[in-house]
Amino acid sequence: MKIEILEVDKSFKKQKVLEQISLIIDSGRIFCLLGASGSGKTTLLRIMMGSIPTDGGSVTIGSTPVPNRELLSNMGYMPQNEALYEELTTWENLKFFAGLHQMSRKAFEENAEKLLQIVDMTKCKNKLVRDCSGGMKKRVSLAVALIHQPRLLLLDEPTVGVDPVLRRKIWQYLKQLRNEGTTILVTTHVMDEVTQCDDAALLRNGRIIAKDTVEKLIGRTPNGNIEELFFMDNQSETEGSSC
Amino acid sequence: MLSIVKRILGQIKNDKRSLGLLLFAPLLVLTLLFFILGDSNYQPQIATYDMNEKFVTELENHATVIEESEMPEAADYLETNGIDALIWKDTDGTHIELLEKNSKSVAALKAIQDTNKALQPAQNELIIDYVYETSDDNQLDSLSFVFLGVISFFFVFILSGMSFVRERFGQTLERMLMTPISRMDVIGGYTLGYGLLAALQSVVIILYAVYVLQLHVEGSVALCTLVMILMAFSAVSVGALVSIFANNELQMVQFIPVIIIPQIFFSGLIPIDTIPFGLGNLCYLTPIYYGCTALEMIMIQGKGFLEIWPWLVGSIVFIGVLFLANVTALKKYRRL
Repeated sequence: MKIEILEVDKSFKKQKVLEQISLIIDSGRIFCLLGASGSGKTTLLRIMMGSIPTDGGSVTIGSTPVPNRELLSNMGYMPQNEALYEELTTWENLKFFAGLHQMSRKAFEENAEKLLQIVDMTKCKNKLVRDCSGGMKKRVSLAVALIHQPRLLLLDEPTVGVDPVLRRKIWQYLKQLRNEGTTILVTTHVMDEVTQCDDAALLRNGRIIAKDTVEKLIGRTPNGNIEELFFMDNQSETEGSSC
Repeated sequence: MLSIVKRILGQIKNDKRSLGLLLFAPLLVLTLLFFILGDSNYQPQIATYDMNEKFVTELENHATVIEESEMPEAADYLETNGIDALIWKDTDGTHIELLEKNSKSVAALKAIQDTNKALQPAQNELIIDYVYETSDDNQLDSLSFVFLGVISFFFVFILSGMSFVRERFGQTLERMLMTPISRMDVIGGYTLGYGLLAALQSVVIILYAVYVLQLHVEGSVALCTLVMILMAFSAVSVGALVSIFANNELQMVQFIPVIIIPQIFFSGLIPIDTIPFGLGNLCYLTPIYYGCTALEMIMIQGKGFLEIWPWLVGSIVFIGVLFLANVTALKKYRRL
């Protein structure tokens, strides 16, 4: 599903969080939203899902303007913190969210088994989330976002706190999903993650300062380190970070 | 909606301590109240001066009697000797001096009354009439409806309010709303899920009160249970609504006295028509008022469905209004 964001503005209590954001995210790509913490990544995700209103501008997904409730059944969202029910087991968490998406029992069970294998949680599926480690919770949360086989995935810092072996496995799976036609939007502040993506946009102080394919972005830096892009424009010294 | 109900029940199933607290804590409090307010068989101490022999002998059957040969200075005498009542006679009649109003003085008065009754028609008789209660009821019996109502409301309110705050705080609410579920289904599922737990609690409380604590119920126990269940549902909704104004669990706890204490004032503990400045009319804004009034009518006055239905309707309307308020409040998390 193609996402079109057009001139979106958003402020919280007079502080501008997003300013004139325009982005086109093509269908079947892994798109990376790169930015320091507080740069407005999560706010942009929330706007794309329709959970908070914009001050101006519009978001269109596929050909449907946001907000739209039917659209949500095609979207999978993984929030930054785990957002799971601590008193339920991994399996029960998956089952609950599958229920909200009105999945059939058979489809749910097949997909759940497959996902648990990918995030390496099959053995712990009957463990209470309360007793899981931080990394495990993250993996369960990812599985929850994928349970209803969405065509658009919004992942807010998905691999923070996940060990390198598993991280590779998750990226492999995400790429497989992309090849099957799923659009994936990932936010991160870890620069290494960017190289796994197809396209990237750099967000700073609520503005997009660069946007291209990852290859081309890296080509623009002197030493192949994408982080350099944040220092290449001369704004960095004058503005400082907002709080 | 059904998946939310199932989830809530699943959560509480895996959290045995919360379930235990929900079901047994109210019983514990009720039992404690039963003993605190129940008859303690306290033997009052009564001093007499210049009373006739017949009266004193009879009084000794009901209280510890100290006969004084000189008229003592009443206030001083009672305080220093720990005596509950002083009774003497002069030309005006029989005087009873008590230190202050408390359960001891009540016991003393009762002893004097009983003495008077036994001596019929000898002494000047005191006639006390209750329309609905017999004077044998203990205090828990006559105020039972207040405690049953307030206790069950209180525990359910905390449970639903807290879990809703946690759901907002832990962002599971946001995640839940990122599925195509409608806001009405969310609140409906929530009210129904916790309402079922609350209903279970109500049934346990009322059965315990009636069959274990032997609480006197004039009317139908089943009707009492219905009223309690309705009240529990409104407690769930009030909890969810209040949680909107709380940003964390601490603030939710701080809301408890704000929400619960004023409701106790309107629960029937204080007669509503004696409250000045028309503040008594505020009772219509408190869900406990509807529940407790209905409970009072059933338990004390033995009224039936035909007499209490306006209060049941009041409860239901209240639940409906809160439901819509909660559905609207969810707009904060998703515009549709």
